[in-house]
Amino acid sequence: MDIQNYTVEDFICNESFQRYCLGSNKEDIQFWENWIKDNPLQSAGISEAMHIVSLLNANQGNLQVQLNQLKDGIIRFEMLKEALEHTADEQNQQSVHTQQPTHIQQAEPYNQQPATRKILRYAVTIAASLLLVMAAGYYFLRPSQTIDKAKTKIDLTGTVIRSGNEPRKTVVLPDGSIVTLRSNTTITLASDFNLANRELVLSGEAFFDVTHHENHPFTVHAGKLNIEVLGTAFNVNAYPTNANTETSLFRGRVAVSKNDHPDQKVILTPNMKLILANETPVSKPVKQNPFRIESVAVDSVNHKPREIAWVRNRLKIEDESLVTIAGKLQKWYGIEISFADEQVKTYRYSGTFESETVVKALEALRLSYPFNFQIRKDTIVISK
Amino acid sequence: MTEEEQNILYWEGLRKGDKQALFELYNNTYFHLVRFGLKISPDDELVKDSVTQLFLQLWDKHGRLNEVTHVRAYLFTSLKRMLLDKLAYHSRTDAAIIKLRYKEGDVELSYEEIIIRVQHDEELRNKLHKAMEQLTPKQKELIRLMFFEGLSYKQVAEQTSQSIKTAYNTIYNAIKCLRTILK
Repeated sequence: MDIQNYTVEDFICNESFQRYCLGSNKEDIQFWENWIKDNPLQSAGISEAMHIVSLLNANQGNLQVQLNQLKDGIIRFEMLKEALEHTADEQNQQSVHTQQPTHIQQAEPYNQQPATRKILRYAVTIAASLLLVMAAGYYFLRPSQTIDKAKTKIDLTGTVIRSGNEPRKTVVLPDGSIVTLRSNTTITLASDFNLANRELVLSGEAFFDVTHHENHPFTVHAGKLNIEVLGTAFNVNAYPTNANTETSLFRGRVAVSKNDHPDQKVILTPNMKLILANETPVSKPVKQNPFRIESVAVDSVNHKPREIAWVRNRLKIEDESLVTIAGKLQKWYGIEISFADEQVKTYRYSGTFESETVVKALEALRLSYPFNFQIRKDTIVISK
Repeated sequence: MTEEEQNILYWEGLRKGDKQALFELYNNTYFHLVRFGLKISPDDELVKDSVTQLFLQLWDKHGRLNEVTHVRAYLFTSLKRMLLDKLAYHSRTDAAIIKLRYKEGDVELSYEEIIIRVQHDEELRNKLHKAMEQLTPKQKELIRLMFFEGLSYKQVAEQTSQSIKTAYNTIYNAIKCLRTILK
């Protein structure tokens, strides 16, 4: 049959086409690349066929693409190794008194052999951590995409929310996102904070459960970091007095970048945290990544992340009225809960709940016996 | 020369620092390793990254590599160890379960489980599940051999003792059925 008359099924069932999709045979790649170029009208059918082939092979990928990644990896690895060897040689030629990067301080400056070996080992560790970084889902995006945005000055002089001495304070932002602030934490919203412009400055620690809006990212500026939310729930620890700024992610995706390098974005995936030292050492090793990534610390007893132990509420209820439960929630999350209806107050509930936000807790309760609630800025109103 | 005999040659080249030999070994083993990895974890990105990382490590320590008589088996073992370590790193709670599973003997994910769990989109997962349910066991088996294991029609026909034409027709009808549901 003439390829011109192929249906999508015919493409999928063609062995040569399958090898083209996998990138496993040079002649097939050549043939199909040319054919596709010469038959632009078939492109929709071709892409549907490629999609189904990929579904059925469980995204095994394209050999050529993967091989190029390996080649790139080897080039980067060798460049790094060379750069560090070079630094090591320079360091060894300098006098003992010159300031040296901390990582080779113990190296013996007069004896080249052991020092170089130490550096090499260091190079390998860096390479290993770079790889880990790839695995953890980091992408350094192209500079041009973000620099323009960084240039536009953001006006962050809007509403200020303070938790003061309260252990926790919960507010609902105008876009519907829920923020729980830990004690002595301040949040300043952009003066025109709304659905389309969701930027705020954080000093202290807060847990965010962000409502998803496809085209409007939610951005938190904390210390030297800009955290752009692509998904949902995360915790930021950014007390100015702490040594580190930590961003821990629990659901969805966030992209983190430094103020002075808005072009270098790191994408965090769930249960990972990013740590940035607030004080940068005077001498920094060349090419070192400013961020450190760790998986979130898990409590050995309850297997829950320690980073949000401060906000997670375990609520044990044994046949209690909703008004009593609301009192407990109000005290824990630091948000006023009122009732628009007397009868709802007497609804009774039993069970154990665990949740990070007051809304999640109410939603869990509502499952066993329904009621409604409305969230305003700093009040929740429960009704029938 | 069989593929494994080639692999041994490439391995020897790699030990001597021949970068091209490393790439040839990669070409020869990539799909075997990815398929093997997917049966351990249905996270295709993790598996593909791990395969690349495995070869980067081989290159890094090529001068210290020993002679190996079963190259593919050696690579499988290394990949498995790397994947289990990474899974443990990503979720400490699951790690114990995963390791236990592997102590009790290798429990592999089934083909259907893999192709569904690899997808992140909930709707697509459901469609794919529904589509696979429509296929007969025979159709599923042939689809697996051809698309997942990467066999040719000739090899599929040999393995299932039927003619190439029958194998082709079975797969063609299965694809037709899948496509209507996936649309």
